[in-house]
Amino acid sequence: MAKLLMTHLVAGYPSDEASLGAALGMVQGGAAYLEVQFPFSDPSADGPTIQGACQWALDRGWKPERGWKLIERIRESLPEVPLYIMAYASLVYTPGIASFCRRAREHRVTGLIVPDLAYGQDEGLAEESRKVGLDLMPVIVPSILPQRLEHILQGGFSNIYVALRSGITGTHTELQPQVLDFLESLKTRGVRVFGGFGIDSSSQVKLLAPHVHAIVVGSHLVRAIGQMPPDSKPEDYTELLCARVRSLLD
Amino acid sequence: MPSRNGYFGEFGGRYVAEVLRRPLEELEEAFHRFYPDPAFQSELERLRVEYIGRPTPVLRAHRASEELGGANIYVKLEGLANTGAHKINNAMGQALLARMMGKTRIIAETGAGQHGVATAAACARLGLPCRVYMGEVDVRRQRPNVFLMELFGAEVVPVTSGTRTLKDAVNEALRDWAASWENTHYLLGSALGPAPFPDMVREFQSVIGREVREQLRDVKLDAILACVGGGSNAIGLFSAFVDEDVRLIGVEAGGRGPQLGENAVRMTQAGRVGIVQGYKSYFILDDDGQVERTHSVSAGLDYAGIGPELAFLGKSGRVEFQSVTDQETLDALKFFARTEGIVFALESAHAGAAAIRLAPHLPRKANILVNMSGRGDKDIFITAKALQPQQWRDFLLSEAASISEAEKHHG
Repeated sequence: MAKLLMTHLVAGYPSDEASLGAALGMVQGGAAYLEVQFPFSDPSADGPTIQGACQWALDRGWKPERGWKLIERIRESLPEVPLYIMAYASLVYTPGIASFCRRAREHRVTGLIVPDLAYGQDEGLAEESRKVGLDLMPVIVPSILPQRLEHILQGGFSNIYVALRSGITGTHTELQPQVLDFLESLKTRGVRVFGGFGIDSSSQVKLLAPHVHAIVVGSHLVRAIGQMPPDSKPEDYTELLCARVRSLLD
Repeated sequence: MPSRNGYFGEFGGRYVAEVLRRPLEELEEAFHRFYPDPAFQSELERLRVEYIGRPTPVLRAHRASEELGGANIYVKLEGLANTGAHKINNAMGQALLARMMGKTRIIAETGAGQHGVATAAACARLGLPCRVYMGEVDVRRQRPNVFLMELFGAEVVPVTSGTRTLKDAVNEALRDWAASWENTHYLLGSALGPAPFPDMVREFQSVIGREVREQLRDVKLDAILACVGGGSNAIGLFSAFVDEDVRLIGVEAGGRGPQLGENAVRMTQAGRVGIVQGYKSYFILDDDGQVERTHSVSAGLDYAGIGPELAFLGKSGRVEFQSVTDQETLDALKFFARTEGIVFALESAHAGAAAIRLAPHLPRKANILVNMSGRGDKDIFITAKALQPQQWRDFLLSEAASISEAEKHHG
């Protein structure tokens, strides 16, 4: 069975050039989807690795303007790969939901992931996304109550992100049988499932692959980026990420 | 004023990741079930009397009023509550609720440490294990409160992310709760955050306003003043008077001045409507939506957001907002100490400073009430440093020397 990966990177960590290099490497290594996180001052759903990366970028003056520029450059080099922006509510709401969505569309972004604008209390994000043709991907958890799950599934989403563990990103996840059951139960519901949170090995990827459309890998790769020597060149990040993604697909 | 589905006008709501939806719904349901229950109310009332020390007195500040030459000033001495501030009203209420919900562990955030101390004390009293998240910067500058929390048996966890202050402690508590909610209650310290916290915290703090009404039932109040960080003491006091003909004045931290980053004024200066930490309200944000740095001499007022109900009441004009500077605050602290023999907490001294400003402009028959939401013992390392730097330095050096001396003998 084909194993599809969505790989995640933090914009501007450790630099825009490095992020671009990493994105190229991820796709060379076999990533099917890219997720670019815009750093926020208060990333309350993220663990220490991604928090640290966001803070690092912000401390060096990262602004969303630079994020858009990075998106543009990724698109120039990789015109086809499905590209998602992950951001917290404040960065989407402050410039205006409609204008954020328009801008994403103009930058040929495929879709958005905004965990703290959940469906039903999203300030119109689902509607605006649909209007401009962006694929908004809701994030759910296996502990979700059935009624709430139905409500989201009736929202007309094509893709859905399942956080495989309650808690935050970045801690290794032991895949519990009930989680796999939950993923199975979504298969007949007409949405493609992206599963992530704490995926850091090819054996987990193998185990998950039959149960989801794609597997999301974030902190594991951000950690690898953080371990590179400070004088690394963009092509070093390309090489590193290409190798890392390849080894996850082994 | 209860919210409508978690909203006060356009403010409030529950902007959280899906993982926190269930614990918040469960909490809301439990609050609506247990809070009106006579058994819960009588247990809470017993704790208020026996443990918190309620009702807290109202002082008629004759000498202060005389010297200012205007309205009569009354001071609600809320700081005489056990653990030194109004925070215990909410901490005890929520801890009791958590116990009834069958939760076996409490987590909390704290900035200056007052909410942490209150929560640690309430947990000690009720026999619940307690973990308090506190920014590393705050741990360093608020050692006395860390000491008290640990004395009460709480585990104090320094938070090293972000600005390493209150907002980062909130993030860390949210992260813990996302993984632990099945057995853990997150005891949030102010009337903000995602619904149901703003409603719940206001209800537990509304005892302040109810008592004032009772204590001053023969006095026609013209204005009521309270300091506003997140705003729990203010909303707890104001809630009893919202429908009455009396000015309600919220006082924010003017810090060192009006420049961005030098104060924590959300309502009359740099604040803008945003969505942060689970609720919509006024926040100090940059143009992109990043949370900006704030400053106040009082650690309890330097949070970038304000509770949604106060944001609503401020926007509608029902609550007036003012700000006072660090310097006016220290002057107010000295003034009330000298004239009335009471030491305001630095947070509450902001309200005191606004009262000093207001009173002379009102006629002698006018009456104003200011909430001393906390007492100032906890601030002694800040106030003494500001007011008597040389003597305080000498004292600290001699204390440090005596510790070293003792270590030498025992080491």
